Amino acid sequence: MHGLLILLVFLLAGTWLQSFLGLPIPAAITGMLLLLAFLIFRGSIPESLQAITRTLSPWLPMFLVPVSVGIITHKQLLLDHGPLLLLILTISLIPGILVCGWIMGKEDASR
Amino acid sequence: MILLHTPLFWAALTIASFIVGQQLYLRCGKPVFLPPILTSIVLMAICLEGTGTGYQTYMEGGRYLHDLLGPVIVMLAVPLYQQLHAMRAHWKRIALAISLGSGTTILCAWALSQWWLGDSLISTTLLTKSITTPVAVAVTSQLGGDPALASAFVIVTGILGAVMIVPILSLMGINQPHTQGLTLGICGHAIGTGRALELGPEASAYAAMAMTLTATLHALVIPLIAG
Repeated sequence: MHGLLILLVFLLAGTWLQSFLGLPIPAAITGMLLLLAFLIFRGSIPESLQAITRTLSPWLPMFLVPVSVGIITHKQLLLDHGPLLLLILTISLIPGILVCGWIMGKEDASR
Repeated sequence: MILLHTPLFWAALTIASFIVGQQLYLRCGKPVFLPPILTSIVLMAICLEGTGTGYQTYMEGGRYLHDLLGPVIVMLAVPLYQQLHAMRAHWKRIALAISLGSGTTILCAWALSQWWLGDSLISTTLLTKSITTPVAVAVTSQLGGDPALASAFVIVTGILGAVMIVPILSLMGINQPHTQGLTLGICGHAIGTGRALELGPEASAYAAMAMTLTATLHALVIPLIAG
């Protein structure tokens, strides 16, 4: 439970900071960065936080199911543009892969 | 039927459908095209269509799970912290690969959708396609894109990335695990990272690091540019 409390406190801090500064960044991301800064400052991960991360991580995608099911409200859009969207997603990946491979691969060739 | 209007029923069914998805994934030998979340979404969509239940009615129960997304996103700081050490050695090259690699793919998707579809909701939502789903959902809501579409784009991108990345890299003559892992994390986020687990510990550490750094970078930069 301590772990959950830590997460909620940082989410709250993120929400507060986001609205206080009017940041365009989502509150949860602000909270994540605050927690990261705390962990770097502390130099280790509290045991309770470690425990809740281990427990929740395999279930993380489950929390996304409700919002993703919202796709049923876009049936018409998928019927109209589904194949084209798939094509866009496929084509757009290729230059990204080439750039990553090129940047990281140069060093491989030299060693 | 009264059950169909009980929020708790839909929350329970969502959890059950995810467990079915997990079991199916394990029994089939963890194929990349069948992540548990995909099975779960398809099953829930079938249940809603089959019973004629609207999304709003479903969400009264779905909300129980959805509201936990915030703390779950904050939790991503833990793996990010654990992987920071993995990038010390070549951080400049990694930073370059993450920013240029992920930038190229989303610009390309944005340009293609503007050109072919000219629909600003779709183009805006596509900007979040390289971010791991929980963060993509948060960012796209901020931008005025559509969270459900964002989730679909991210999942499809992850599956495509998991299938395409290793073959394309080997066509370029690249077979080093750290490059494979990094590219899987940048272009295939969590599903790509799952694929990297099969390539060994070095690839998976790089993939997990690349995934979290890409998500963080995009969450910070995209709202500033597009917003």
